[in-house]
Amino acid sequence: MQDALVRKLESYEVLSEQERRALSALTPHVRQVPARTDLIREGDPPELVHLILEGFACRYKILPDGQRQIMAFFVPGDFCDLNVFILDAMDHSIGTISACRVADIPRNAIDHITENHPRITRAFWWCTLVDEAVLREWLVNLGGRQADQRIAHLICELLTRLEAVGYASDNSFAFPFKQIDLADCMGLSDVHVNRTLRDLRKRGLIALKQRILTIHDSARLKEYCNFTPNYLHLKNARWSDRRTSPWLARSQGG
Amino acid sequence: MAGAIAGRLTVNQRHNVETLVVLQPIAVDTGSPDREGMLVLANGMLVAVLVQLMAPEHRNPGYWFLESGFGSLRDLKPPAFETLEEAKRWLRQRLNTRDAV
Repeated sequence: MQDALVRKLESYEVLSEQERRALSALTPHVRQVPARTDLIREGDPPELVHLILEGFACRYKILPDGQRQIMAFFVPGDFCDLNVFILDAMDHSIGTISACRVADIPRNAIDHITENHPRITRAFWWCTLVDEAVLREWLVNLGGRQADQRIAHLICELLTRLEAVGYASDNSFAFPFKQIDLADCMGLSDVHVNRTLRDLRKRGLIALKQRILTIHDSARLKEYCNFTPNYLHLKNARWSDRRTSPWLARSQGG
Repeated sequence: MAGAIAGRLTVNQRHNVETLVVLQPIAVDTGSPDREGMLVLANGMLVAVLVQLMAPEHRNPGYWFLESGFGSLRDLKPPAFETLEEAKRWLRQRLNTRDAV
């Protein structure tokens, strides 16, 4: 059920059977949430940590003039803020893009894990670290890349993240985003998004049919937007060999 | 009197003067089939470029899109306008609102 979470955490840390069981205990409360539904709104007191098990969601803010800015997309295996329950009130909203299966995790369950399972805790740290790294990359995207490169970069990022949790195959993945969703995360208009997707299709880099996006030539697409997956810190990225932790092995008698 | 001063003031400074919005056809390279455009002049100054959406993939082909805005219209992303008249009304209102601030 929470395969996506285990797969994601195992791309950061090797987990034991006992640790996997502890993770299963995190997700007894799973619910189906329709598309375009808020999980929590700005101003609400956060009581639970939301974990996306299936589907896509986003973190966003609505500006006074009604404009929406999306600051993050969540894919299966993503926590929508692991430590959010520390806050008194949400400073942003979280809503689904597609229909989602969402686990509502009470804070004491997270506390229990962090008190008893140092390796899972460290994998959680990785999640938070990578969330921040993705946010940094999005800032670079907004400030430093041209509109069509921004969208190409997002597509490359989604492919890499979805592959890591088993939700992409043969360079194809579900793409429930509307053009306005991409526009609202890239600081563009839906017209510009439309033109860019058209252009990427015309160049034979991508295809978009029945809400499935296929990347025909991922090497060219990555080169086109200078995509380097290092910031996602996945096992298949070039940093993985350096990730050794003698102190953790020692503390666990391993 | 107001007319005589207007020449030395920016669009935003012209309080109490109805903004005169004039459109001039221009071809625009948007890297797409959307290439019929209009320069938007407000009291003689270029304030925006409108482009008609022609690519069939658009949600509302035929509509007029604010391709680019300058000054107080910079970075605005209004929904595309069904007609040029509608676009002009919106532009006039935005320019006048800004004047009043």
